[in-house]
Formats: sequence, C-alpha cells, structure tokens
Amino acid sequence: MEPELVVPTMEAIRRWSGVECPNAAARHGLADMVGLIAELEKLRGTMVFEDEPSSFELAMRDCMEPGA
Amino acid sequence: MSLAELSMTEAADAFAKGEVKAEALVQTSLARIAAHNPALNVTIRLEGEAALAAAAAADKARAVGIKAGPLAGVPMMHKDMYYRAGKVSTCGSKIRQDFVADKTATVLMKLDAAGAIDMGTLNMAEFAQNPTGHNAHYGHCHNPWNVDYCTGGSSSGSGSGVAGRLFYAALGSDTGGSIRLPASICGVTGLKATQTRVSRHGVMPLSFSADNVGPLVRTARDAARFLAITAGHDPYDATSAREAVPDYEAALTGELRGLRVAVCATSFMDGADEPVVKAFEEALAVLKAQGATVQYVAAPSMAAINAYTAVISRAEGAAIHANWMRDYPQDYAIHLNARLFGGYAMPAHYYIESLARRGPLLRQFVAEAMNGFDVVATPTVKTRVPTLAETDIDVNPENWSRFMAVSANTRPFNYLGLPTISIPCGFDDRGLPVGLQLAARPFAESTVLRAADAFQQVTDWHKRSPLA
Repeated sequence: MEPELVVPTMEAIRRWSGVECPNAAARHGLADMVGLIAELEKLRGTMVFEDEPSSFELAMRDCMEPGA
Repeated sequence: MSLAELSMTEAADAFAKGEVKAEALVQTSLARIAAHNPALNVTIRLEGEAALAAAAAADKARAVGIKAGPLAGVPMMHKDMYYRAGKVSTCGSKIRQDFVADKTATVLMKLDAAGAIDMGTLNMAEFAQNPTGHNAHYGHCHNPWNVDYCTGGSSSGSGSGVAGRLFYAALGSDTGGSIRLPASICGVTGLKATQTRVSRHGVMPLSFSADNVGPLVRTARDAARFLAITAGHDPYDATSAREAVPDYEAALTGELRGLRVAVCATSFMDGADEPVVKAFEEALAVLKAQGATVQYVAAPSMAAINAYTAVISRAEGAAIHANWMRDYPQDYAIHLNARLFGGYAMPAHYYIESLARRGPLLRQFVAEAMNGFDVVATPTVKTRVPTLAETDIDVNPENWSRFMAVSANTRPFNYLGLPTISIPCGFDDRGLPVGLQLAARPFAESTVLRAADAFQQVTDWHKRSPLA
C-alpha cells in the first residue's frame, strides 16, 4: 500500500519546483523515501550550531596520513 | 602474449622502447571492437580513421627520435561525458544527443599531452545516474563475462570495454561508485581518487560535491600512471586540490609486509552474498599471507553517512536537471526521471545539514575506523552480480531495492571523500567477478595503489580475460 506521504509530496513538488510526477516508478521512489525520512529523523540534534559545509575541506587536510 | 593482453603501462612502455608500433596497438583495438562490440554495445562514437592517423603520427615521431610521452601510442576510449571542443558528448542521454561541447576537458588535454590516442566515446548510464549500466537510449551495455548480466554503472562502457580488451584504458566518473562498480563487476581495476584530486573542468556534472574523475584499467600500476598524469590543481576548476602530486608508480614497492588493514565487518558486510564473502575472505587471507595485518573494526555512523549521501546526490541532481525535468521529462528513461523526481522533495535544511556534517563524520570515521590502520577493506559490491533483467526498473519498479543495493558499499566513500580502489579478487558461483575495495586517508592514493599493486603481484584475477 502506498504511504500517505506520496500524494502531498507530489503536490509540494509541483508547487515548489513545477515538476510533475513522471511515472509510476517515480511514485514508487517517493514511497521508498519513508526509510530515508526515518533515518534523518534519528539524526536530529546531531548537527551543532557552528557546523558548516566548508569544514569538509579542512577535515580532509587534517585527516591525511601522519607526516604527509 | 597478444597485444590485446598488454596492460596500459605495458603497451606504453613497449611503444617507448620501440618494441611495438602505435598503429599495431590501434589496429588491435579496432579489430577487438569490430569483433565484440556488437554483443557488448560499448561504444557511442568510434573514430577509427582518426585514431589510425594519430598512431601513424606517433610512430613517425618516435622514428625520428622525439621523446614519447608516458602514454604515447596507447589507444583509449572514454565515457561520453568528457567534453572535447567541437565533438558531441551525449552524456548517454537523448536530451544531449546533439550537444556539441565548446571546450575540452582538462583531463582529456592532459591525456593528449601524454600521448594517449583517443579513439572516441563510450556507452554509459544516462547522465551517469545509475549503478547498473542500463541505458534506454543507446541500448544496455553488456558484461563480457556473460552478456545477460549487468556491467555495473555508470561507467558501463569503460568497464566492459577494458575487461573485453577492446582498449587499454578508459575514463570513468564516480559519484556513488560509478568507477568502482563496473571495475568490480567486469573484473578490472578502477580508482576513485580523493575528492578534488582530479580536475572536473569540462566534465558533465552530476553531483558537484561528490563527482570524481578517474580511470578503469587492467592494473594498479596502470591506475598509478594514469592518476599521476591527470591529477593536480587546475585553474579552470577552483575546487581542485592544490596538494602536490607524488610519483605514484615509485610507491609501488610490491610489499604488503606491515600493511595494516581494517575490515569494517558491520554495514559493509551486512546481507552480503556468500560467494562474495568467500572471495573477500580469500583476498584477506592473501594479504595476511604476504605480511599484512588484518583486524575487524566497527565503522561508525554508517546510517548517517548513508542518509546524507542520498540527500546530497539527489538534491544536487535535482537542481542540475530541473529545467529539463520541467520541459522534457519524457526524454529521460523511466528509472532516471523517477530517481530525479524524489530529489525535489528534499528539504533544503537537510541538504545543508548533509554538507555540514561531512567534515565531522570524516573525522570520526578516520579516528575510529582507520586509527592505526593504513587501509579499510570491503567487498566493492556485497551482492552477486545481478542480471540486467533483475535490476531493470523501467520494466518493473519493484526492482528498485535490488538496483540501489548494487552501490551500497561504494557510496559512503564518496561522502567521506576518501581515495578508494577496486581490484578483482575472485569470481562468484555464476562465474562473474568479485571486487576488493580498499580505501585510505585523504590524498593517500599511494597507499591504496601500493596495496593493490602488491596484491596483484601475487594473484592473477586481473589477468583473467573473458573473451578470446
């Protein structure tokens, strides 16, 4: 059975992005997002206030092999 | 040994020494393509006459004593998403079937300067957006070990063609595993370097936070030479790394003694098929027998890494394709516009969170899974190679989970940005290849290449050829 989120999500996409649901597989893909939403719910609270995207480049340099 | 069985570096070195002519290498490739491409469907644009002319010029230059470049005389073909000015780059799509690039990718210019002979472009997943190699517009690419099976994607033609000995090297691209998957599934070597290591100027974008340029070749030594030529900062790609490019081939000592290998048993092995586990454990046994230490560790925060990976790739893909998804949705394959569609549902704050958490999660992964280790080892693909039919979403949307499972072990390393290689390490019970994936710390390509090369010194999986 199709999850409840599918129809309202399709409508939100149409309103925000102007993209129509192209086919049954796309509906299936939206239904599959229930799992991803649940995973993201579990991560709430892990991001701290100062986290920001550019920290990745610094982390890459800091995580290099010792002596590199 | 026939010329077709030479690796890229063997072919280049033989040319440099005058032992083989470039024309003979190109003729060999063209003959292999004529014989096998009808079954494999590897090529999109083949420029045989131009390749022969380039080979003749290379032979003439060498004959008069002009020093050959490190890839001189070696025929290659590349995934059809590397732009060359004046040429069509379809990106495996109907939408860009007539797109003529107005610039040449930096990586192609570097390969040209090294003397490589570009014979044309290769089949790929539409806009590099699937892990299996299906293509609704140019036909599916087929696995040379068994044409009923998928090649892995998205660099499908690159994997199938190198495995079939149709040419000596090919560019792929890797955003969620698209170099390593066809490398594993077709039985060749594929290297995804550290995020930002290789310029992406003139390369079709898919997800700019995770896109990588890299080779599919026969051996780790091939990958080392290829990377040395293509890596480095590019003023045309402001994101490209400024770290110095070492001599990767010089790092290939053939030595495994002292190598410290971490095996992430959780997550990367969950639900793995038995034939894959068997081949992987046999590969670990080889590493141990050669003097490496192998220890099982827990990989931290894999659920977070997997969730954030999905958010980034889909949100960025949705943004890039928004205009075409509004105006030409019917011109995409079913599985692709279906996948892109979900990207428009991603809340912007989750996208920012996914990028913001990337640094902290990389630090945690290195601190907990790599502390005291040189490399992390996993199977490249945890399931047996699927058939084209059982991963075809266009025919049956219920194949979605099997389709997505193919890239489960490769995607995390794109999020983490780590250099990662896939090398052949055996076959499953249906005779399809199994890949060993090795990852190291940022910019430690020399470490994964050294380990992979040493493994290949004592195994012959990479020498097995699927076609006569």
